[in-house]
Amino acid sequence: MDYKDVANYKNYALLSYHHIPGVHNIEVFERAGGYETMKKCFEMDPEAIKEEVKQSGLRGRGGAGFATGVKWGFFTKDRNAKKYLLCNADESEPGTFKDRFLVEKNPHILIEGMIISAWALGTQKGYIYIRGEFYHQAMVLERALKEAYAKGYLGKNIMGKGFDFDLYVHRGAGAYICGEETALISSLEGQKGQPKLKPPFPAIKGYRGLPTMVNNVESLAAVPWIMRHGAAAYKQWGTEKSPGTKLFSISGDVNKPGVIEVPLSTTLKEIIEIHCGGMRNGNKLKAVIPGGSSSPVLNADDSYAVKMDYEDVAAKGSMLGSGAIIIIDETRNMGDILKYTLEFYHHESCGQCTPCREGTGWLEAIFKRKETGKSSKSDIVLLDKTAASMRGQTICALADAAAMPTQGMIKVFREELEQYVTAAPKK
Amino acid sequence: MSQTEKFEFTPDRLALYKEYLTRYDDIDSALLPTLHLAQEQNGWLSDSVVAYISELMGLPSIRIKEVISFYDMLYDQPVGRNIVHVCTNITCSMFGGREIYSGLLKHFETGYLTPTRDGRISIQKMECLGACEQAPCMRVNNDYVGNIDLQSAISKLEELP
Repeated sequence: MDYKDVANYKNYALLSYHHIPGVHNIEVFERAGGYETMKKCFEMDPEAIKEEVKQSGLRGRGGAGFATGVKWGFFTKDRNAKKYLLCNADESEPGTFKDRFLVEKNPHILIEGMIISAWALGTQKGYIYIRGEFYHQAMVLERALKEAYAKGYLGKNIMGKGFDFDLYVHRGAGAYICGEETALISSLEGQKGQPKLKPPFPAIKGYRGLPTMVNNVESLAAVPWIMRHGAAAYKQWGTEKSPGTKLFSISGDVNKPGVIEVPLSTTLKEIIEIHCGGMRNGNKLKAVIPGGSSSPVLNADDSYAVKMDYEDVAAKGSMLGSGAIIIIDETRNMGDILKYTLEFYHHESCGQCTPCREGTGWLEAIFKRKETGKSSKSDIVLLDKTAASMRGQTICALADAAAMPTQGMIKVFREELEQYVTAAPKK
Repeated sequence: MSQTEKFEFTPDRLALYKEYLTRYDDIDSALLPTLHLAQEQNGWLSDSVVAYISELMGLPSIRIKEVISFYDMLYDQPVGRNIVHVCTNITCSMFGGREIYSGLLKHFETGYLTPTRDGRISIQKMECLGACEQAPCMRVNNDYVGNIDLQSAISKLEELP
């Protein structure tokens, strides 16, 4: 997307600076009003900041949609206790690229959000865990952090408040599972990125066994707007249960794929037709994956009817997830889409829990049996049963993330999948 | 560099390593950045690299190897001078990412991650690269190249040193 498009979103909370050329420079960012909210927040009682974020109803934007303010409420109020703030920038859910788009142009909105959050939570140290592939984005953040240190917004005794906060970038090395918050912590600890059993939740016992708050890029980047304009203003957008604006990553069969910011509860029809310039080649819509590869697929009717908020997408049998929308037109075979999905989850299972390590492999093997010439229609029944048996049996949600889209696809496109597995394999 | 050739950080990288240590409250947390740094210098993480890091950080070699084996971007085998990641996830595959991946392997007469005979390129099929709006896409070293087809991808890789 070019700047002209981005300017359409300048009155919202997250892309409000994106139309300004050079806004990755701290001087430009500050001239546009950046870091003013941070300075205002240092005059506020930290508890009042937490309360404002809670009142805003902001929900975690990484995928789970748990209320950020409530999560913050689980954190110790002891300001002297050693604790950490981690930003989850490991964005790896297939279809998702919003955090990359946000930080590569505007790293300071995230840093400002993290400083305000650190002051509210009383954390002395923070890390931005960014996926290894985003090398240039990591460099953009490193440079922005240097600028913020030079201004005295990071380091010792920030703004003369006697408050210390150090913030660093930490690069991952290519593992989907590290986006799961306890796996992210394992990875930061220099271990294999394997999830840990919850409870204890990271807010109680996280990085190095100490209280740790893990929030998504988009959640933290929304904090400055909320603190500047107030919770009530944030709630002008969206619904009572899904307030505010959300970034959506849209890819697939539309004319203008890219990242947009719209109020939650915007219809998917408007997103496709207005924001993304309609369907590619004027083709008919067949299906939409509304919240990343782990969300169950919607058929065309549900896609055109759904409002993109947590409740309405759930009512249609799927989930809003990270807001990664993959648009699929009539020329696509849903069997191919499911195959790509199953191969991915099999490869990315960390191998720790049997139902996931074996289950993701079975799903792929069952669905690809036609390659051995031994497939039958009943494979779809077996696939459904295998997926069902994986759910809720593991330490983290990866097994469910593989099972849900499998079962969702069977529910909506059973006949097409039956044809797919019994058709002669492509030569 | 061969498996047995002795490895040590260049002075500037050793300085960077020492700076990394100041960022973390324990040495284990500095492992991933240190492995990135070593791979940047050596191309891959050979036994002699692991032995050096083990000595430097006071961590058992097996503990380091376990971590290397877990991550797709850390290499325990020799790789080409240039690393190419081809995305084969949902959106990229819808637009031919898989055909591009197999086409590149065929054109450069190589397999997954195996260096080409001239040692120039290693091609790796990757998880979603997080650039689905540019599907199909690939990474050439640290740069994203989007909206590719097989021909443009080959041309791009032919330019590599």
